[in-house]
Amino acid sequence: MSSRLPVQGVPAVSDPVRSPSRRRFLRNALAGTGALLATGPLAGCVSPASASGASSLSVWDLFQGGDGMLMDDMIEAVSKGAGGAQGFDIDRTILDWGPSYYTKLAMSAAGGRASDVAAMHLSRLAGYAPGGLVDAFDLDLLAEYGVTEKDFTPAVWSRTRHEGTVYAIPLDVHPFIVFYDKKAAERAGLLDTSGELAPMGSPEALLEAGRALAEATGEAGILFGHVTDTAQNWRLFAGLYAQTGAAFDLPDGGPPRIDEDAAVRVVTLMTRLFDGRTNPNNLDYNGALAAFTSGRGGMAMLGEWELPTLKKSGMDLGAAPFPQVFDKPAVYTDSHSFVLPHQDSPDPARRREAHRYVAQILKQSLTWAGAGHIPAYRPVLAEPEYAALDPQSSYADAAKVAVLDPPNWFAGAGSNFQNRMCQPLQSALLGNTTPEKAVRQMVSEADTLLRQPNPVA
Amino acid sequence: MSATAATLRTRRRPPRETAGSPLLLGHGRLPRALAGTALVVLAVLWLLPFVWAVITSVQSEEDVNTTGLSPFKGAFTLDAYQQILERGNVTLWAFNSFLISALVTLITVVVSTLAAYGLSRGTFRGRKALLGVTVAAIMVPPQLLVVPLFDQMTLFNLVDTYAAVILPQVVAPMMVFILKRFFDGIPKELEEAARIDGASELRVFRSIVLPLSRPIVAAVAIFVFIGAWNNFMWPFVVTNDPDLMTLPVGLATVKDAYGIQYAQSMASALLAALPLIVVFLLFQRRIVNSVATTGLGGS
Amino acid sequence: MTTTAPLDAQARTSSPPVSGGGRRSALGRIRTGNGLVFVLPFLLVFGLFMVWPIVQGLWMSLTDRSLALRDTHFVGFDNYTEAFRDPDVWSSLGNTVFFTVISSVPLVLVALAMALLVHSGLAGQWAWRLSFFAPYLLPVTVVTMIWTWLYQPELGMANQLLDTLGMAPVGWLSDESVAMWSVAALTVWWTVGFNFLLYLAALQSLPATFDEAAALDGAGAWRRLWSITLPQLRRTTGLVAMLQILASLKVFDQIYILTKGGPNGSTRPVLEYVYDVGFTGYRLGYASAVSYLFFALIILVPLVQLRLFRRED
Repeated sequence: MSSRLPVQGVPAVSDPVRSPSRRRFLRNALAGTGALLATGPLAGCVSPASASGASSLSVWDLFQGGDGMLMDDMIEAVSKGAGGAQGFDIDRTILDWGPSYYTKLAMSAAGGRASDVAAMHLSRLAGYAPGGLVDAFDLDLLAEYGVTEKDFTPAVWSRTRHEGTVYAIPLDVHPFIVFYDKKAAERAGLLDTSGELAPMGSPEALLEAGRALAEATGEAGILFGHVTDTAQNWRLFAGLYAQTGAAFDLPDGGPPRIDEDAAVRVVTLMTRLFDGRTNPNNLDYNGALAAFTSGRGGMAMLGEWELPTLKKSGMDLGAAPFPQVFDKPAVYTDSHSFVLPHQDSPDPARRREAHRYVAQILKQSLTWAGAGHIPAYRPVLAEPEYAALDPQSSYADAAKVAVLDPPNWFAGAGSNFQNRMCQPLQSALLGNTTPEKAVRQMVSEADTLLRQPNPVA
Repeated sequence: MSATAATLRTRRRPPRETAGSPLLLGHGRLPRALAGTALVVLAVLWLLPFVWAVITSVQSEEDVNTTGLSPFKGAFTLDAYQQILERGNVTLWAFNSFLISALVTLITVVVSTLAAYGLSRGTFRGRKALLGVTVAAIMVPPQLLVVPLFDQMTLFNLVDTYAAVILPQVVAPMMVFILKRFFDGIPKELEEAARIDGASELRVFRSIVLPLSRPIVAAVAIFVFIGAWNNFMWPFVVTNDPDLMTLPVGLATVKDAYGIQYAQSMASALLAALPLIVVFLLFQRRIVNSVATTGLGGS
Repeated sequence: MTTTAPLDAQARTSSPPVSGGGRRSALGRIRTGNGLVFVLPFLLVFGLFMVWPIVQGLWMSLTDRSLALRDTHFVGFDNYTEAFRDPDVWSSLGNTVFFTVISSVPLVLVALAMALLVHSGLAGQWAWRLSFFAPYLLPVTVVTMIWTWLYQPELGMANQLLDTLGMAPVGWLSDESVAMWSVAALTVWWTVGFNFLLYLAALQSLPATFDEAAALDGAGAWRRLWSITLPQLRRTTGLVAMLQILASLKVFDQIYILTKGGPNGSTRPVLEYVYDVGFTGYRLGYASAVSYLFFALIILVPLVQLRLFRRED
């Protein structure tokens, strides 16, 4: 590394505060040698010297693609010392989305040498906080850096606690919503006077909307990709089920407390909606996405994180919280949050910096909203720049009626639980089983999972 | 395992007679042509994935992302390699792999050679029992021990350290067994002479037995090194810190903000493949011999 | 104990000279004694990293040991009874056996074919060896990266080839009925070179006399292959097959990286199930129990092989 610096004319940083670990130094040195080998001594600058006074932190997340690049931007902003604050020297590690990430996160915490900060779906917290795999946040410290409880929606904040202690700080709320083709929706008469999707209010209205959209596009009405997907069916079901007001409780040891009548009503609606005629019932995730972007359907039920992909297609895109069709407003949601993975002997100064880092990143969440996510830190929602984001601002209210997975150690994003709930639902949608049988199977799957001894409590 | 031992002993007798047997095909043209064609087809099949990977790696991501079978869809570029090397991960993991494999090899060879000699020449009580246990341990797949080993490493507070990656890999009952069989075959007269001259056992071992055993020790070392270099499951389980990962673990675990990019993916795969391929080109005969002698449990 | 019998026999033939008269003679005073000190380092690592985990694993399999909790309770054979009733244990065992069958057969036969062809003395020995053995030297991740790209649905070589031939694309890793075959194809490509070298070494150590005699008698190449060379390779084949079956049963790496056991669990081998329930699901105790059940299965292979060979003799 040192041999490379003079060539680039970058002064060597000699700062007592910044103390990168030996290994990190090694990596930089090796990277330098590698770059030299590859491009010769006149290579361009590779790693810009970080702002002076930066403290180093290791952070883990699971964001790739659009999310991954936005997170890069946010980390760069806080590293440079956004808002006149001190910067950071962030060593970011990205792991594969899903079980492999959560496994590594748990194992690193069990090993006691975890990263300083990690991203986590709030729905997974019940698998980490009770067993001590994540450490508690110091709310006073966060308040010092300008982040307090009242900055968050109660629906989401309530899920950050375990036995009264806060273990996660939400970055966003990312609901399962509907995207629609504005022109098709207008022709189908689904828009209100302000040009937004009008409320529906009943299952029949949703079915009717599907028919009207199908007529308007001349092809399919509502698109939904679920075949072989390990989450989509659960997202749709869980949101609609929550709208019935029934409880979905998973007490240890079983049996699950699920209102089977309400569940059957929901699955019946799902099968009537995706009947294979008005709305296709056999699409997989990418198939539904492609059909929607190429105009072969008027509406798509998707997570808001698909916004960047959809925008690229150039269609006249509208978005709305998932329509309320049963008694109670509710939208199925998850939340990317920050946690402090358990360390056996955390350095207090570093922990302090970890709190400051989380607070700083939250203040960058306008950037994050670019990916479609609703910032959980509400002061950002109040900024005029956010209001100007279209269509993001039109579904921001979904955060207030957010419903997450039932809090249980085996549930949450990317979990086996979601996968197992999806299988019977997929069969029902494909017409291989009845809604009643599908619901019975879901209950029995949940029961099987609950009968396992709880390994975190 | 007795079958292994028995077979090998019977197979040891016939000396190597011919390097290849042209006779096998006779002198007919047809069999030769057929065999030649079959070989070429197989070789092409086996080289094709490499070729495809190389071609992908020297293109830009945009060109890679267009369909079509034609090998070159765009201009030649080493961008992918440059990006990978600048990021530094692959070089760091290669360094870790090298360090870890070298230490595993060193410790395994020293520990196993000593143990094999002790088992071959020793008279201590329980020698036969230990030999029996060692041979039985050959049957225990290390993969089945990852759960208790991880538990043990948590207890020792060693998770995410080089020591945790290395230590469990140095237990190689198979290598002890192979070396012991070799030592058994060395005539004792040489050693006895040295002993009469007053040499200590360690000295006998170092100055008489070891020099005679150089080929087998080299074969074991090569075999252990390749095994450690390519080991996946244990290093994968016991390292979470990307700075400590070996090549196979790091490449499989750590992702890029941009998501999967195939030109870069192939470039890093080929860079990671390079060290052992180069070593193989340099030491082909030794490596082939090592696999042949150790692969079947020594012969 | 039956497994060690021949070794003991062998030890008997080799050890007496060592423990003979010279050992207790007056000259032996500064000796390192009886050789125990030589095995001590091995005893240490063997005890720590082999015996300990074996015993610890057995103990854990009788407890509710968790990745996330410190306190552990003895639960008797609960984990084992749960494992016997767990459909995922059986399906992952089934996947493991299926993979073992569809990978071992080609891994033995293709290796044999390669070795016979190369041994036939055609020019370019070096090049053939390199092309068949080189993949074996690749770390598993490199292999899976290359093959993930070959199997890529839209841009990968496999589907591009099919497309050129006017055939429909195949979901190499996404179709439940195809994925395991795709894994097996990768595995054959990756590891066949090892068996190939074993066969080649065996062929080179065969006495040529029979072959020469038969050739003089005018037996054709094909005839000599079937009635002389292949019978001579029978023992090697038995050995290679057993080692291959044991290796295939332990499959984890390439499947974990390539498909994570998917689609829908159709490629999940039992070792991945152990990883999944133990580390992803925190249940180290239960994972240990599944490991031990699988271990029992693995032990059976050499016993069966021994049986078969005894009968043949």
